[in-house]
Amino acid sequence: MIGLGNYLILSGIIFSIGVVGVITSRNMLKVLLSLELLLAASNLSFVAFSRFNGDYTGQLIVFFVILVAAVEVAVGLAIIVLMYRHFATIQVDELKDLKW
Amino acid sequence: MFPVINWNLISLEVLITAILVILVVVDIFLPRESKEDWIGALSFVGLAGLIVFWFTQSNLTGATFGGMFIMDSLAWFFKGFFLLVMVFVFAMTQEFFKALPTRKNEFYLLLWLALIGMCFVASSADFLLLFLSIETLTISLYVMTAYLKSDSHSLEAGMKYLILGALTSGFFLFGLSFIYGATHSTRFEAIQAFVQTHAMSPMILFGLVLVFATVGFKIGSVPFQLWVPDVYQGAPTPVTALLSVGSKAAGFIILIRLFFGIFASWHIHWSVIFAALSAATMCYGNLGAMFQKNIKRLLGYSSIGHAGYLLMGAATGSALGLSAINFYLLGYLFTNLAAFVVIILFFIAQKSDEIEDYAGLVKRSPLLACALLLSLVSLAGIPPLAGFFGKFTLLMATVKAGLIWLAIVAGVNIIVSIYYYLLVAKRVYVDAPRTNSPIPVSLSMRWILGLAMAGIVVIGIFQGPFLDMAMTAAKGMYLFHL
Repeated sequence: MIGLGNYLILSGIIFSIGVVGVITSRNMLKVLLSLELLLAASNLSFVAFSRFNGDYTGQLIVFFVILVAAVEVAVGLAIIVLMYRHFATIQVDELKDLKW
Repeated sequence: MFPVINWNLISLEVLITAILVILVVVDIFLPRESKEDWIGALSFVGLAGLIVFWFTQSNLTGATFGGMFIMDSLAWFFKGFFLLVMVFVFAMTQEFFKALPTRKNEFYLLLWLALIGMCFVASSADFLLLFLSIETLTISLYVMTAYLKSDSHSLEAGMKYLILGALTSGFFLFGLSFIYGATHSTRFEAIQAFVQTHAMSPMILFGLVLVFATVGFKIGSVPFQLWVPDVYQGAPTPVTALLSVGSKAAGFIILIRLFFGIFASWHIHWSVIFAALSAATMCYGNLGAMFQKNIKRLLGYSSIGHAGYLLMGAATGSALGLSAINFYLLGYLFTNLAAFVVIILFFIAQKSDEIEDYAGLVKRSPLLACALLLSLVSLAGIPPLAGFFGKFTLLMATVKAGLIWLAIVAGVNIIVSIYYYLLVAKRVYVDAPRTNSPIPVSLSMRWILGLAMAGIVVIGIFQGPFLDMAMTAAKGMYLFHL
């Protein structure tokens, strides 16, 4: 029997992968993908809670989260394109002008 | 049966959205090579109308859209605050882009979008609406931060802001899902009712810590402060001004709604946490600011320090502390924006934000030097200016709440901050100028500077009416509970 706990553990694992990915990735596209994982993990736990609580608010929220995720990626990709034009690379390491 | 929607409560937001839509259409039909700044002029007309309209809403209270959207004294206070911030930011934008080849019409539209987001943050009574309004504000700020596409600093700042901002909104959502799971609702009212009848549960606590990540990110509190100096330095200066006042105030509204409203009955548990965060934040900001060579970066660190002072008010958990936060933010608005207006005018003339280039500013433009001095002295908290009385009320609330050690830490920090603020003032007033060319200040900028300086002095000397305003905003707050 798959219970609420199993869903939450899965979503926790996905969330952790996302956080580690954001922190350790050097490639901007990978960072954006990891950010998407965070939102996907939240969606999973919203739907799980919604199912086991027996109300629909959680499922409703998921639609809005998908929307926001799309907007974030759109802006992120736009900045990556500008960055590639300017630095000819999309490695995060190149962003080191602003320091102390 | 459909619920009845009270459009009167949401009319300010509807008007702002209408103005945005009109401006988009106007922008489409404007000739590309038009020299006149129509969008900027229309924006000012719109803002003036909105401020008049805002005054008529002073006694409006109630909830609509099934309790998702509320209007109360706190929301009213902060909407006025945001409109005032926008008056300054629009004026700065107009001046800033005059000297640049970049198109600025889209920038105005993004500013309007950010204003919509901030007004909705002030009025949210549901976590879903709160999330969407925070994202409206933050995403328009991402774009504005990276707006100068040919400037590598602006791009770098935009990228960093986007990565960390999206990371914290991921935290917010994940935390929210746990609060929703434990309380079966996202409505503030229902969650407060749940919290008041239950003991603290690990699930809600876990959710709340993650939700606080977004608040901490917006206000620039430890441990979410790392982006502040980089983004403040790299972003176009009008955006830095908006980040340091508007976006910070939006973060404080969320903090107030969460910890003076919904979760106030567990206050005893986080008074200590806020006190520790406050001490760490002000030490980080003020110690970091001491060694800065770039004025925008210096103000970035200083704004972290001010977030630390403001968190003292959150640690008190009293009505007095809450009014002190409101009052401090009001003084901070005029003080900080005066500094940013000077920075923009100086940048246009000199193409530099380095503090050493400010040497002898008083000989080149006495008005700018005077405005910068007033602003720095008020930030440092020297009487009789706005910053002094704000710090005074915050410290008073802290001592009354029994957090004497925190008040002492704040006192030491204020002394440290006087050092680096006056170091800049010394450059401006004592050092010899490198060039003697005067810095021109246009008429509109004189007005804006005059408004900011008047605000600093008037709030400092006649605190009474402003303190009353801050107290009324605090007392009439929806779900207020202590």
